[in-house]
Amino acid sequence: MGRDNVLVVRQKDHTVKAMLNTCAHRGNAVCRAEEGNAKSFLCTYHGWSYGIDGQLLGVPGIKTFYDGQLDKSRHGLTQVAQVASYNGFIFGTHDVTAPPLEQFLGATGRLGLDLIAARGDMVVVPGVQKFVIDCNWKIAVDNLFDWYHPQVTHASAFQSGALGPARVGGRANEEIDMSGVNMDNGAALDMPVTGISGTKFDQVVVLGEYGHAIGGPTASSLGNPEFDKTWRSTPQARAALGSVGLEVGGHPNIFPTAWVTSAIGQLSLRILRSPSRTEIWWFTLIDRNLPREMRDFMITIACRVFGPAGVLEQDDGENWSQATAQTRGVASRRVKHLLTMGLGRGKIIKEGGLARIEGFTSEHAQLWTYHSWAQWMKGLSWDELLKATTPGEYI
Amino acid sequence: MSADTGLRPSEDQIAAMVRQYEVERFYYDEAALLDAHRYDEWLALFSDDAHYFMPIRRTRMQRELNKEFTQPGEMAFFHDDKTLLAGRVAKLKSGRSWAEDPPSRTRHLITNVRVVCDNGRELEVESNFHVYRTRLNSEESSWIGSRRDLLRRIEGSFQIADRKIFLEQTVLLSRNLSNFF
Repeated sequence: MGRDNVLVVRQKDHTVKAMLNTCAHRGNAVCRAEEGNAKSFLCTYHGWSYGIDGQLLGVPGIKTFYDGQLDKSRHGLTQVAQVASYNGFIFGTHDVTAPPLEQFLGATGRLGLDLIAARGDMVVVPGVQKFVIDCNWKIAVDNLFDWYHPQVTHASAFQSGALGPARVGGRANEEIDMSGVNMDNGAALDMPVTGISGTKFDQVVVLGEYGHAIGGPTASSLGNPEFDKTWRSTPQARAALGSVGLEVGGHPNIFPTAWVTSAIGQLSLRILRSPSRTEIWWFTLIDRNLPREMRDFMITIACRVFGPAGVLEQDDGENWSQATAQTRGVASRRVKHLLTMGLGRGKIIKEGGLARIEGFTSEHAQLWTYHSWAQWMKGLSWDELLKATTPGEYI
Repeated sequence: MSADTGLRPSEDQIAAMVRQYEVERFYYDEAALLDAHRYDEWLALFSDDAHYFMPIRRTRMQRELNKEFTQPGEMAFFHDDKTLLAGRVAKLKSGRSWAEDPPSRTRHLITNVRVVCDNGRELEVESNFHVYRTRLNSEESSWIGSRRDLLRRIEGSFQIADRKIFLEQTVLLSRNLSNFF
């Protein structure tokens, strides 16, 4: 959680506890493995030992050195103030006054997670891809809503067949006006026609309280980046997603930094390490009942598209990194991001507990994210924050 | 007339030395292709049934070290067949592969080459690498690790039929893996 290293531990009664990996004595780590099984935690500095629930169990020489005055029950590992799960996704907050998880997620955040959970009996594939991008986290979040960039940023992936079976074909789009757009050698930049970008391309943006948002194409306007859409017609999916959710083909973000990719069923955490350093963790989830062949196929695609070697994210990372580095100077930091695509033209439709905007490619979801972030940074009370991040009539 | 000291290498030793020389030369030539961005020629070193795999590594306690690396069928950084590798090469050559234009400067150092198994047709070979990369003005990546290859003998040389790449990193300390190992 940010710069705090937190142990998330399954308890014997199958509940989950989360606690700081910080010894109550001198703050040393009590667990140094990234994952695994343990029966207790040991601080290797002086030997304080804790149960998997974080309770302090053993202190070397407690009677001799502490005169019997040390109350072990008061010096366990610091628990994360609130831990709760929604459909198996575990969230924590250090704020004891924060709203309960389901309320915090709201209909938009819950829908984002349902877009993975409703695909079947989902399990995490072993192996979380972790890597570090020298970028500010907000540009990475901005990008997940950005359906203006794929045809240029990912031109090499689309043109070369590097996406392999994940290539995006399907519905042809109208040609985008490329007049005046040239490569550095003066040649016109030719734009690949893909099924995930273009001008005739229905989008649905969903805006939620506290800053959650969903942006991107409707499921029916997507070309073919999603290999198996059949899960959307199951009774489980219909019940969980509702009519708007069933049409979401784009990307939800659980504010601030949990990105759900609905195409494959992955979750990308962007962990803030510093203003110019973001650690990315990719979780891949898959229906445990998929036939072996389909499972292997999905894993192949997951490895290929995102992550540090992913043919899409390689080029994304380059942009995020440069967009961070090139706005750090005295003068360059005054170059403001231009967020006017669709600004003032997003009519918000409130239906079924969701606030949505229909139309073409826009920056409405980014605008909502930045607006909400600005509200969070004011240090408002939870009630005030809720009011300030409740969608209005237009954006 | 010189005395026979008994130190003359045996025929087996000579054969092993020649094999070592052939394998090392193959790897040096391969590294040179990568560092010169001659990706088509590099790709041609792989058999059509090749698998190119870089697992994810996790920091584990000693008692769980057998679970350190992910296995095929689990998530990985690279999990490519030859078609997918060819797609990566085509991407690099497209003129629009922004993360590699301007291209990274790389240097592949290959060491500690050990033939661990040889059935006449195929060799299992372990080697260590240091891939050093700089990009643009100030970006630097350095990857050290090992490879376990299955090399198939073909007319006068080898083909890579399987490559497993093991990095000495868990959290990858770089922005991307837009290069080959």
